[in-house]
Amino acid sequence: MTVAVGIGYALIALGPSLSLFVAVISKKPFLILTVLSSTLLWLISLIVLSGIWRAFLPLKSTTWWPFALLIISSVGFQEGLRVLFWKVYKRLEDTLDAFADRVGKPRLFLTDKMQIALAGGLGHGVAHAVFFCLSLLTPAFGPATFYVDRCPQMPFFLISAIIALAFVTIHTFSMVIAFNGYAEGNTTDQYFVPVVHLVAGMVTLVNFASGGCVVGIPLLYILASLILLHCGKMVWRRLTAS
Amino acid sequence: MESSILDSIGSEIIGVMTPVSLCMLLVVLLVYSLSPSEQSLSGASDPFRTAANLVYLERPDDSSTQKLEGAVLNALVFVILIAIVTFLLVLLYYYNFTNFLKNYVRFSAFFVLGTCPFALIHHFLVDFAHAEVLLCSWLGTMGGSIFLSIIQQFSIPVDAFTCFVLLFNFTIVGVLSLFSGGIPILLRQAYMVCMGIIMAAWFTNLPEWTTWALLLALALYDLFAVLAPGGPLKLLVELASSRDEELPALVYEARPTVSENERNRRSGLRFLLGGVSDSGSVELQVVSRDNADGRENHGNPEYSAVNVGTFGNEMHERSSDEVERLPLVGHLRDGFSSSGSSSDRSTSVNRENEIVMEEEMSPLVDMSLSGNNRQRASDSLENSLITDRGIRLGLGDFIFYSVLVGRAAMYDLMTVYACYLAIISGLGCTLILLSVCRRALPALPISITLGVLFYFLTRLLMEPFVVGTTTNLLMF
Repeated sequence: MTVAVGIGYALIALGPSLSLFVAVISKKPFLILTVLSSTLLWLISLIVLSGIWRAFLPLKSTTWWPFALLIISSVGFQEGLRVLFWKVYKRLEDTLDAFADRVGKPRLFLTDKMQIALAGGLGHGVAHAVFFCLSLLTPAFGPATFYVDRCPQMPFFLISAIIALAFVTIHTFSMVIAFNGYAEGNTTDQYFVPVVHLVAGMVTLVNFASGGCVVGIPLLYILASLILLHCGKMVWRRLTAS
Repeated sequence: MESSILDSIGSEIIGVMTPVSLCMLLVVLLVYSLSPSEQSLSGASDPFRTAANLVYLERPDDSSTQKLEGAVLNALVFVILIAIVTFLLVLLYYYNFTNFLKNYVRFSAFFVLGTCPFALIHHFLVDFAHAEVLLCSWLGTMGGSIFLSIIQQFSIPVDAFTCFVLLFNFTIVGVLSLFSGGIPILLRQAYMVCMGIIMAAWFTNLPEWTTWALLLALALYDLFAVLAPGGPLKLLVELASSRDEELPALVYEARPTVSENERNRRSGLRFLLGGVSDSGSVELQVVSRDNADGRENHGNPEYSAVNVGTFGNEMHERSSDEVERLPLVGHLRDGFSSSGSSSDRSTSVNRENEIVMEEEMSPLVDMSLSGNNRQRASDSLENSLITDRGIRLGLGDFIFYSVLVGRAAMYDLMTVYACYLAIISGLGCTLILLSVCRRALPALPISITLGVLFYFLTRLLMEPFVVGTTTNLLMF
C-alpha cells in the first residue's frame, strides 16, 4: 500500500511528462538528447543557485521576505540562462540546417523546431519536478506520512506533487512560447514567459500563510492553464499560417 | 513527406545510453530493495573483506583521516592488482593463448551468473575475462546469492529444487548467449546488462570511502591504460586490430540500427559520431529499421565478441548470403531513390558508421584502415550497405557507472538523479570526443569525475537549498 502511494505521488508529479516523453520525445533520439542536456543545464543552474545561497541557509521559516528574495534571484538567474539556452540552440539549428543541406535532406521543419523547444522545456520542468518533489518522496514509500503545519488538509507529499505538476506544465510550455517569441522577435512573448515564471514563484509564497495552500494552488493552476492556452493558440497560429 | 534529419541523428548515442541507463536503474532498484536487510545483517555479520579492501577495513567509528588513508591504500592495491592482471592478459593474448582465454571467460561468466561458493576461483577467471574486474571477493555474493537475497527480502515462496533449476537454466542460457553465435543479439545484450548489474550490486557492498577512492583510482587507471603508450589496454587493442580479431573481452555492442548517416559525416561531426568502418570484417548486411528486429533474430554470428577463431571466410560467406536473401526493404529503397535524385551518388550509399567503443573501460578500437577501405567499399558496393556494429562499450564501464549510481542511491534519490545525469553527459562527451579523435578512448574518466563531482555538490550544496524551500511549500 505504501509503495502504491509513493508511486502515485510520483505519477501525479511526472505522469503527464512521462506520457509526453513516450508519445513525442522517445521516437526521435535527438530529442532525447535534448531533454537530457536541458535537464543537465537546469541541474547545474540549481547547483549554482544553491551555491550562492548556501551561506544564508537555512532561512528562518517564520519570515517570508528572505524567501521572496530567494525566488526573485533564482527566477532572474534562470531566465537569464534561458536566453543563453536559446543562443546555443540557435547555433545548433544553424549547424543542423547546414548538415541537412550537405546530406541533401530538407531543413528543419517548423514542427521540428517546436519539438526541440518542447524537449528543452520538458528537460527544464522535469529537472525541477525531480529535485523539488521526487527526491523528497523517499519517506513516502515508508509506512508513515508527513503533514506540514501550514497546510493540514493534505499530506506534504501530495501538495508538493501537485505544485510540481503545475511547474512542470509551466516550464515545458513556456519554453515553446519563449523560443517562438525569440524566433519571431515577438517582444510580448519574450516578456510574457519570465513574468509568468516570476508570478508563479511568487504565488507559492501564499503558501506561507497558514492555510494559504487552499488559495495558492488554484492560483498556480490558473497560471499553468494560462500558459497552456497561450502556447496552444500560438502553435495553432503558426501551423495554420505555414 | 520526406523524413526530417531529426529522425536519425543521435541514434547511435541513444543505442549506448539506453542499456547503460537500464543497468543503472536496475542497480538502484536492487540497492533500494535490498538495503534494509543488508543493514540489519551487517550489524551482526563480519565486515566484508575482499581484494578491494585488503589493506583497510572501514569501521564507522574511525576518524576521517584514518578512513581517507585506508581508502586510498585500498584503491591503490586494487588498481595495482588490476594492472598486473591486465598485463597478464595482454601477455597471454600476445602469445596466442586465445582458446585458454575464451574458456576462462566462459567459465567465469557461468559462475558470475550462477550461484557460486567457489568465489575465489571464479573471480580470478573473471579477471582474465575483462581485464579489470576483480580479483575480489573471498566471500562471493554473485548472481545466485543476489537471487537468494531477493527471495528472502520479498518472502517469495519457492522451493530449493525449483530455484536451482531456474538458476541453472538462467546461467546456461547466459553463458551460451554470451559466447556462441546464432543467439539473438537482444538476448546477448540483456545478459550483458545482467552481468553488469550483478557485478555492480556486488560492488555496492564496499564501504563508502573505499568506493569513492576506488572509483577515482579506476578512472585514472583507465586513462593511463588506454591512452598512455604502453598502457596495457592500448596494447591489447592494437594487438587485436593488427590481427583483425575481436577483443578477447566482454564487450557490449550496441544494437545495429540503420541510421541515415551518409558519408559526409565527417562534416556533421558533432551529431554523428564519426564512424570508422571495420576493415577486417566488413559485414554486408541489410539491416533496416523496419525489419531490424526480425533480422536480429536471424542470427548474426558476427556479434559474439569472443568468438575469435571462427571469424573466417565462412562468416563472410554467410553474411553475404544474407544480403542476397534479404529483400531490400522499402525504407531503404526510399532512401536510395530520394537521395539519388537530390544529390550525388555518394550519398545514396547508405553507409553505416561503425564506431567501436571498446572495452574495458572502453578503449574504442579504431580502425586505422578506414580510409582506403571506405574508398574501396563505396566503389564496389553501390547497392549494398555496410552495417555498423554500433558503438562498443566495455562491461567495466557498465559496472562502475552503476556502482557510482548505486552508492549515490544509498544517500538519496536526489544524488542518484544528479549522478545519473552527470554520468550520461560524461558518456556523451566521450562519444563526441570519439568522433573527433577516432581512436580507442577510455569511457570512465570523464563520467566518473563528473559523477563524483556532482554527487558531492548535490549533497553538500543543493540538498539544504532544495529541502529548505520545499518544506516551506515553495517552488519556482
